[in-house]
Amino acid sequence: MLGISFDDVPANAKFHEKFHFTFPLLCDTERSVGMAYGACDDAQAKTARRISYLIGPDGRIKKAYPKVDAASHPEEVLKDI
Amino acid sequence: MLQAGDVAPDFEVKDHTGGTLRLSDFRGQNVILWFYPMADTPG
Repeated sequence: MLGISFDDVPANAKFHEKFHFTFPLLCDTERSVGMAYGACDDAQAKTARRISYLIGPDGRIKKAYPKVDAASHPEEVLKDI
Repeated sequence: MLQAGDVAPDFEVKDHTGGTLRLSDFRGQNVILWFYPMADTPG
């Protein structure tokens, strides 16, 4: 599991510390990952869309989740693995 | 958005510790890539 936002390292470090996530939070400050994955339309986007992907061991998208509800998402994805 | 079957574009970004992380580091494993709008917002 990888979390990713457009925040910088200090902001995500604080977020990580507060919630004790067991996975890394990535800092896509240039929005290049967001654009490649359709989480935003351009490099000026303020925030990423709440989307998610399950990527298989072969490096291909197994499933795309265009709308993510944080509370139920982990269970939803675990069912798909 | 990308669709099932598409190759997941590789990337190299910093993580919250300041270290560099690549998607290709996880080849051979399932990866959930979860985009969220902003640090410290619910969801």
